[in-house]
Amino acid sequence: MRSLSITVFLVAALLVITTEHSYAGGGNVIFKKNCISCHYTDGPAKEKTIADQLAKKGPELWYAGSKFQKAWLVAWLQNPIPIRPMKYNSLTEQNPGDHPKLSASDATEVTEFLMGLTSSEVKPGMLKAKASIMGRKIFIKDMPCSGCHAFAIRGEVHGGKSGPSLIGASKRLNPDWIYAYMANIKVFKPVRDMPDFSSALNPKELEDVAAYVTTF
Amino acid sequence: MSRYAITAAIAINLALCTVSSAYAAEAKQVFDFYCAQCHGVKGDGKGINVGPDFATDPRNFTLAKDMEKRTDADIKGVIKDGGHSISKSPLMPPWGATLSEEEVDALVGYIRKLCQCKAK
Repeated sequence: MRSLSITVFLVAALLVITTEHSYAGGGNVIFKKNCISCHYTDGPAKEKTIADQLAKKGPELWYAGSKFQKAWLVAWLQNPIPIRPMKYNSLTEQNPGDHPKLSASDATEVTEFLMGLTSSEVKPGMLKAKASIMGRKIFIKDMPCSGCHAFAIRGEVHGGKSGPSLIGASKRLNPDWIYAYMANIKVFKPVRDMPDFSSALNPKELEDVAAYVTTF
Repeated sequence: MSRYAITAAIAINLALCTVSSAYAAEAKQVFDFYCAQCHGVKGDGKGINVGPDFATDPRNFTLAKDMEKRTDADIKGVIKDGGHSISKSPLMPPWGATLSEEEVDALVGYIRKLCQCKAK
């Protein structure tokens, strides 16, 4: 009876150790080892001043699971084609395209970790990509979105360079996140060079823009 | 007594210079962060975003003749409400919900330094 108790105890202990080991080898650990020096994942947003934002080497990822599409993220981590034309926080240096590449297994693990980081500001399943005429009018004509963000019409590239490119947004971004980001941008990025459009556009207009951008 | 007065005056002047210089530094940081992407770091309207899609070039703040025609209130209004509000280019965003009053005032002051001019 005593030896049976010891065996059960040992099996249980082994199970705990195995579980911990599995967690320790997961995306969280890979991220901490390789990515944490440029990206923080413990929200809410920390930046309070322009200097705080300028000190960052890469975008915050504490809401990555709400922002990105999983299939895109796992592929991008293995083949990180630049999203921003310019180096992060720079108006003078081009993006050198030197983001580290992850192996397929590490990319899968890190994606699992990042997709678990969500924001309660984003209501999933609210919006879908839609070639909204109003969204297009706001994006291209009425508001300055195209002044900073690259986009393509029939394969021809337009737009500015200071913001992240929106080419391929249909595969990269979640429309619900785009809406939430524009509706309450201070929650996600208190200090950024993109204007707060929440008072310039009403909720329906913000929805139209979010749906339109995710057709890119 | 007059020596004390002179020392006090120098100390006040130094303090004012330090505050003014810190204010200028902050204004430049605000300009570089928000405005330079289109108006250029030199304020000459040659920011990195400017390309063929810009129907009109961003305002060149170094042109005194042009900037003299605009009052500080005009400049402040466009910064806060955007180009759309005065039937100018919508590519000039409304920054009113982003910038504080102090930051907008600092930008007006900085733009006046760039043009080295006042409203006529």
